[in-house]
Amino acid sequence: MGHGAMLTLGAYLMWATTKMGVAFVLAALISALGVGLVGLLLEHIVIRHFYGEPLETLLLTWGFFLITTELIKIVFGTDLREVVNPLPGSFELGTVRFPVYRSLVALFAVVLIVAAALVFYKTRIGIRIRALMQNAEVASLLGLNIQLTYKFVFVTGSFMAGLAGALISPMLSVDPYIGNIFLVRSFFAVTVGGVGQLLGGTLAGSFLVGGMETVFALVSSQVVAQTIVFALAIVILRFRPQGVVTSR
Amino acid sequence: MTEANRTRVLPGLPPQVRRVREPVVAIGVLALLALLPLLFSGYVIYILPQYMLFGVLAMSLALLWGFCGMLSFGQAGFFALGAYTMGLCVQHAGAVGVNAAYLALVISMAAGTAIASAVGYFLFSAGVRDSYFVIVTLALSIIAEQIAVGQSQITGGWNGMFIPRMELSLWRWKFPLDSDASIYYVIVVFVAATYFFLRWITRAKFGKVLAGIRENEDRVLSLGFKVPLYKTATFAISAGLACMAGALYGTHAAFVAPSLAGVLFSTEVVVWVAIAGRSSLLAALLGGIVVSSISNALSAITPQYWQLVLGVLFVLTVAFFRGGIAGAVHRFAAHRGG
Repeated sequence: MGHGAMLTLGAYLMWATTKMGVAFVLAALISALGVGLVGLLLEHIVIRHFYGEPLETLLLTWGFFLITTELIKIVFGTDLREVVNPLPGSFELGTVRFPVYRSLVALFAVVLIVAAALVFYKTRIGIRIRALMQNAEVASLLGLNIQLTYKFVFVTGSFMAGLAGALISPMLSVDPYIGNIFLVRSFFAVTVGGVGQLLGGTLAGSFLVGGMETVFALVSSQVVAQTIVFALAIVILRFRPQGVVTSR
Repeated sequence: MTEANRTRVLPGLPPQVRRVREPVVAIGVLALLALLPLLFSGYVIYILPQYMLFGVLAMSLALLWGFCGMLSFGQAGFFALGAYTMGLCVQHAGAVGVNAAYLALVISMAAGTAIASAVGYFLFSAGVRDSYFVIVTLALSIIAEQIAVGQSQITGGWNGMFIPRMELSLWRWKFPLDSDASIYYVIVVFVAATYFFLRWITRAKFGKVLAGIRENEDRVLSLGFKVPLYKTATFAISAGLACMAGALYGTHAAFVAPSLAGVLFSTEVVVWVAIAGRSSLLAALLGGIVVSSISNALSAITPQYWQLVLGVLFVLTVAFFRGGIAGAVHRFAAHRGG
């Protein structure tokens, strides 16, 4: 639940660092690292005491969300901020025009998801995470440091949310509430795709949620589109709680 | 027996604590609320009923969360639904011949109950629970806000909707509630009725099953209770009450805007209930009243820092004092009582 605020924080750090004249890519990296650090602190001080209590964790991260939003408002104010688009302009492919920056970010996002999936399925840390998800008790009996693994996952998650916020900031005006809508969207993307289905699930979920919203927005208003997508996501949650993409 | 005798502690015996029961305190609080218009007038009497309705909203959440273990981030959506229903009824139902406000109260309760029943049964019958339910209610709240913004020809969009103040009527007898004190008493009666209704159902067999679901859902299911029906009924009652409170809020505030349905207001309700104590109806009621009063008073001075303090308090409560203030009071009393 705190990831909405992580995204917002990433966007604001991006604004602050680019304002100071740091190069775009470096600024994005700094923002993501900064948010990752915040995630580390949050995990170490609060969250790690509440694993195994999902509802409490959810509330705590929501509390973190409220606090961060307020802090952002105090530090940065509530007025809209603009991050300069580093790659303005667009290129044409056939008859369709693509904005350069958006296309690049989309490409990067796909690469990032694939990379995360590779880590998840092909590396030692990946197998540890999967063991943790299947059965934390047995995993710890087999000598897995579950505290450390949870911490790694949480910090990586924060890092990625921060990176997302940093990269998305040039596409919209930054205000303290931009995280809200992405929070629900990403939740539904994960749910629709299937929890734990990192590669197929995340891609399918994001494309379904994002794609349907765009398609419905073409035929009706943006608001109706969002409503329909949320309603559909609820229906999917009901009939396929394990997600659209399932293994085995 | 004199007063002194009754409270004296006999030597050698554990100190006797006179257990002050919750309904006694509740009656005291309600009586105090009923007396306030005799002592004060002006802004306090104008604004307090709105906070009492927030208190009812908080109780509706406490029923779900504290008694059944289901956390809803969508109560404000129902509250706003009620307020908009009141507005639409008063605007359009003048021709029907009955008091439009009565109609609005009935329709809003029916609408809230129906929506919650449909969504609730749809989800609970498939075993959707915990965090997933939270996300769905969060989405409901966002949908409500989006509709309020988007259907501006009906709802007024961002500009909101103005609602005339309701009047009481019974056949020929009519009583407009234009004065602050008159509507104050209507709302006090509503608050009292809600409190005792909720207290009744949570202490009846129904409430015991709910507590069972909260503690161990699978066991209650295996004992043969139709858990999805119980959860649906609880969600429906909670939503119906939130809607009715919202309808009264609409007619009292005379104005409703989309932000009333928003996620932020929804979670504010969660914060009140968490800090005050999720498993006590009275605490939830008082939490709603007190925290929103303080918010109002302080937001004039330090709006940002107050929200920050509230957030920190919320995290501390969730992390360390799960029962909230009511839980702490209860433990203190039990500790002294031995």
